[in-house]
Amino acid sequence: MKILATIRKEFLLLVRDAGGITLIFLMPLALVIVMALIQNNTIDEFLETKLEVLLVDEDRDALGAELERAFRASPNIRLIKQVDHEALTAETARRLVQRGKYKTVVIIPKDAGAMLQRKNKNAVVRLLAHYGLSDKKPVADALPAPEIQILFDPAIKANFKQTLTSAVEKIVAHVQSDGLMDEVQTHMGKMTKKPKIKMDLSDMIIVRQENAVENNKRGMPPNAVQHNVPAWSMFAMFFILFPLAGNLIKEREEGSMLRLRLIAGSSLPVISGKFIFYFFVCLLQLLLMIGVGLYIMPLLGMSKLVIGTNYPGLLLVGFSVAMAATGYGLLIAVYFKTPQQALSFGSISVVILAAIGGVWVPVFLMPEMMQSISPYSPLNWGLEAFNNLFLRNAETAAVLPDVARLLCFSGTTLGAGILIHKSRTVL
Amino acid sequence: MTDSSLIQVSGLRKIYRGAEMPAVDNLSFVVHEGDIFGLLGPNGAGKSTTIMALCGLLKINAGSIQIFGLSINQKGAEIRKLIGVAPQEIALFPMLTAYENLAYFGRMYGLDRATIRQRVDHLLEDFGLKEKAKVRVAHFSGGMKRRLNLIAALLHRPRLLILDEPTSGVDVQSRKMILDYLLSLQAEGVTIIYSSHLLDEAENLCSWFSILDEGRLIAEGKLKDMPAMNSGSRNLEQLFLELTGKRTRD
Ligand SMILES: Nc1ncnc2c1ncn2[C@@H]1O[C@H](COP(=O)(O)OP(=O)(O)O)[C@@H](O)[C@H]1O
Ligand SMILES: [Mg+2]
Repeated sequence: MKILATIRKEFLLLVRDAGGITLIFLMPLALVIVMALIQNNTIDEFLETKLEVLLVDEDRDALGAELERAFRASPNIRLIKQVDHEALTAETARRLVQRGKYKTVVIIPKDAGAMLQRKNKNAVVRLLAHYGLSDKKPVADALPAPEIQILFDPAIKANFKQTLTSAVEKIVAHVQSDGLMDEVQTHMGKMTKKPKIKMDLSDMIIVRQENAVENNKRGMPPNAVQHNVPAWSMFAMFFILFPLAGNLIKEREEGSMLRLRLIAGSSLPVISGKFIFYFFVCLLQLLLMIGVGLYIMPLLGMSKLVIGTNYPGLLLVGFSVAMAATGYGLLIAVYFKTPQQALSFGSISVVILAAIGGVWVPVFLMPEMMQSISPYSPLNWGLEAFNNLFLRNAETAAVLPDVARLLCFSGTTLGAGILIHKSRTVL
Repeated sequence: MTDSSLIQVSGLRKIYRGAEMPAVDNLSFVVHEGDIFGLLGPNGAGKSTTIMALCGLLKINAGSIQIFGLSINQKGAEIRKLIGVAPQEIALFPMLTAYENLAYFGRMYGLDRATIRQRVDHLLEDFGLKEKAKVRVAHFSGGMKRRLNLIAALLHRPRLLILDEPTSGVDVQSRKMILDYLLSLQAEGVTIIYSSHLLDEAENLCSWFSILDEGRLIAEGKLKDMPAMNSGSRNLEQLFLELTGKRTRD
């Protein structure tokens, strides 16, 4: 088949063109990694940052253990117990924060656990004595309360202070209620000669956090990886026009296109073969970029790309973006006469469409005026569709409008490209 | 017009956009079946323009072109199926090997794999390129590229072959190989249009001569019948200088 022969030919030409391969596969890779690394802080800080917390545990008891466990489990906190391979003391930790090296330190003083236990015991004794269940006398109120200190860098944001303080308070309350319960059991046990039972009070009430997500809702902020992977995949796919137009115009200049024109009935297979080949190259690019998001980004200390579970939807969106990108590239390739014109117009137009579409700066960070024109960029349609799938795990129906736009765009550009190509006489 | 006429061109005129002078003006000629038709003239005479018009790849300003009795304006695609063209510029993919180039063009002519293999092997052999089948065209010498450019026009066994300066920039051996092959094709009944500015070469090859200068036909006929030939010119070159003057054309 003529189309298959053309696809094979395009394949041979591409694999023999080291520059083209680099441009198609390595450049986008470098681009997406660099951009994600650069924006890792900007966007994440805008959204949520992993806070480094120094923990000085001079008490070495349940309180410290619980705090440590909770900090380690928290996705927003990075726990640090050692600096330069030395265990922290209250003094060194305080200095580190004062010097601005770290933002915050939590100090559990020596004997805090024991003091807490004594207070618990006293409270229970008082309670039982009050109801005449015990003849022990509680100590007068003067028992000192242990003090857990949290020191903050003055520059730290108020909401971080708030978050960390309440997290610590919550854990302390938990430890305290456990202690209290234990104390009650100790006394009850003595009276009834029964063994203690294990009581877990941690899940007596649950406060669950969830993002209010509704399909097809715009403007939910993604993080650096979630934004950059689809954004730059889109960019790279639209940049397919570079090898596509470069190759087509080169064939025109080298004369092989002239020979093809001399062969009756070859223009449609030539154009469709090119289109199909570069369409698959686009899909391959997307696959590669998603692979980077899934496997390379985590290695670089960034979060792993979340792609949702709607794989048919993902395939559909990838397919439409590849169609749109290839159609656009083909139109540019046949419309312009010289490589300089095609490549400079092509690349600048893609950069502009990308900027408008929210590739460089996510749409939700744009000024309002720009936000209002961004839905006119095909790159925005693709990006929105990907975000819908990745971040909102949208159903296929939710991405259909964007898919339809992309396919329309593809059909229009491809149709125009074929018409122009067929109508062009050589001279 | 006789029954044996394969191509009839009359009143052909082409002015390129932005050009002051027509590249071809009021050009009429007939090509007979079985001829090697020499389309001769200095650089810029309008040979390539005429050839592109014959292939239907040029919008012409006036005149009519009939090939195999069909009008190029209406039946361009049908005509192109029956003709083989070797353009003046090498029309090949430099990054593909000789075999890959020919196989691809063969596929585009609609030939099947077995036919392609058989014809390509033969043609490469005939033109001394068999050993180079797996070499990329980019590494070919000028002569090798010319030969391959010609082979690509022969794959579908056309009845009419149109060659635009098929020997330009080639070594003596390549030239002889090409000219010998064209004579053998003529013997098989293929009609050939052969454009060249090398007159001594054409003199030995062509059976009919049409001489262009500045877009106009200035002489035509069999060599021995040309009036100027009888008035003292010993060969085509002298005849040509007599007809066109000694001014350079570029
Ligand atoms: N694409 C073009 N645009 C404008 N002028 C052209 C073009 N091609 C050829 N010409 C002009 O037309 C004339 C005839 O050119 P051409 O047919 O190439 O001559 P030849 O093949 O005999 O050397 C020349 O003056 C040339 O400069
Ligand atoms: Mg020429």
